[in-house]
Amino acid sequence: MVENARSINIAAGILLAIGILYIVGPLYLTLSTASQSYEYMLRNGLAWVPGTEFFANIEKVIHDTRIPIQMLNSMIVAFSNALATCVLSFLSAYAIVYFRIRWAGVVFALILATIMLPLDIRVITTYQVAANIFSPLNAVLDFTGLNTLIASVFGSPVQLELSVLDTHFGLVAPLVAHGTGTFLFRQFFMTLPKDLFKAARMDGAGPIRFLIDILLPLARTSFASLFVLTFLSGWTQYLWPLVGASTPDMQTAVVGLARLVPDADGQVPDFPMIMAGAVLVSLVPLTMIALLQRFLVQGLVLSEK
Amino acid sequence: MSSESSLFSHRWLPALLLAPLMLLIVLFFYVPVFQAFYWSFFLEQPFGGGSEFVGLQNFQRVLSDPEFWGATGRTVIFMLTASSLAVVVPLMLAVAADRKIGMSYPARNILVWPKGIAGASIGVVFAFIFNPFVGLMAPLNVLFPGLWNPGIDGTDAFVTLVAAHVWSGIPFNFVILLAGLRSIPPTMYQAAAMDGAGPWRRIFDVQLPLIMPQLFLTFVLEFTESITSVFALIDTITGGGPGGSTTLLVYKIYVDGFRGFDLSGASTQTAILMVFVLLLAACQFFFLGRRINYER
Repeated sequence: MVENARSINIAAGILLAIGILYIVGPLYLTLSTASQSYEYMLRNGLAWVPGTEFFANIEKVIHDTRIPIQMLNSMIVAFSNALATCVLSFLSAYAIVYFRIRWAGVVFALILATIMLPLDIRVITTYQVAANIFSPLNAVLDFTGLNTLIASVFGSPVQLELSVLDTHFGLVAPLVAHGTGTFLFRQFFMTLPKDLFKAARMDGAGPIRFLIDILLPLARTSFASLFVLTFLSGWTQYLWPLVGASTPDMQTAVVGLARLVPDADGQVPDFPMIMAGAVLVSLVPLTMIALLQRFLVQGLVLSEK
Repeated sequence: MSSESSLFSHRWLPALLLAPLMLLIVLFFYVPVFQAFYWSFFLEQPFGGGSEFVGLQNFQRVLSDPEFWGATGRTVIFMLTASSLAVVVPLMLAVAADRKIGMSYPARNILVWPKGIAGASIGVVFAFIFNPFVGLMAPLNVLFPGLWNPGIDGTDAFVTLVAAHVWSGIPFNFVILLAGLRSIPPTMYQAAAMDGAGPWRRIFDVQLPLIMPQLFLTFVLEFTESITSVFALIDTITGGGPGGSTTLLVYKIYVDGFRGFDLSGASTQTAILMVFVLLLAACQFFFLGRRINYER
């Protein structure tokens, strides 16, 4: 097609340039301010040109704050979130698609419904459950009257207590209770030809063999996409790690970064140091995006189809 | 082989495969959701001090509280402004990036970066950039005192929140909309061009109608997203201030529950917010979704 599209191409170019500026601008100002001294910032405000204090500021973050150990926590939380989501979603999608179960539709609907109400909305009561993960069991025993029975036989009712607050498990588990992964794998399984299954059956493959030898290798890209997506989501969580961990040594890096800004007004905070912290905290996920962008984009598209 | 064998039959294996995820989902999704509704009918004492059935009293208390209505109103305003911008801005960028011009390659890469930056991190950065004394606006504030101060002026604080939210929301919406645009078959453009529609005209007559499913999807998700993910931005940029002008519902629930230890009040508001989110999704699905032609 030959036509004159000059005006629209120029407009599109300008628009994209503004968009890039909007995204990169704050990142550049973060980096340049992180490379200036506190005194420079007090005199000149935010830095338009990079200075020489970058490594000094980074060192301040590493020595004076808990960011290093909190980054380790973030790493554990993000990695376990990604791994657990991938494995559990894969298994549940496999059960829903490849087995004759009467309640498959119901189960899938129950899993999918989790997408509607994000963790941030139900944080109050999720916190209460995490404070004692046996509380639902206790409530059921109380409600059904089993506890009165137990109390009359053994002398006291069953009241189990186990808090997962301030543990890595507690930080991760509510994030895994999410339906996106199952949805993604189900969509992927549906695109596979039915003959694949029939051929495998004819060769005598049972459920486990089919899962490991056929589906697993085929699903590699889906795994990679979901892994990148959930890793980033785990790393960037804020509200749940904020309430789920109360000691600085259990908090994640993003929460730790937000805590670097003093609450009280008065003295201007040490913004260069805080910006160096922001650079440090964003380094892992940004590197991941740079290296695995293909999978990220694919995951975003797949997860919402 | 008969069609019977197109699925595995096994008594306990599928249940075993589903069990781990279902256990987590029941424990950390359905129990909390149920508990929020349950507690909204009880007066719950903090630190396990027992509870007492109070019927609708919690709802009466919450619904007669002007602060609740203030937070709800601000949530709706934020939802409408921030989420519209968070869809329209990526939409314009996606339409631009869909053209084969030099700029579209770096744009497709760079516009995804915010996905890796936590809401709270960009909140900390925006709080600094829009700081009235050392930030971007500081020189202007010297010339025109009082022009910009999110610490005092509620509108300034609100605008900062919206700007940060749009920044964070670009990657997802951009990727989805661009994928929609790229799936439009080239023959559509050729046919429109034959009919005399120029490239500007084709945006409105071909591209927008054909990516309605993606637009609809981004709006649905963006509405919920703008209500919930704004927490990290509020907590790092404004702290709900000045004077409560940026206290949205999700932030008020957190403050009431975790700082005020008002578990019943927080649960009641959680229940109301959940109903609101579900109704919103249902409305969009039934009223908006019906008008969209998914056929290609």
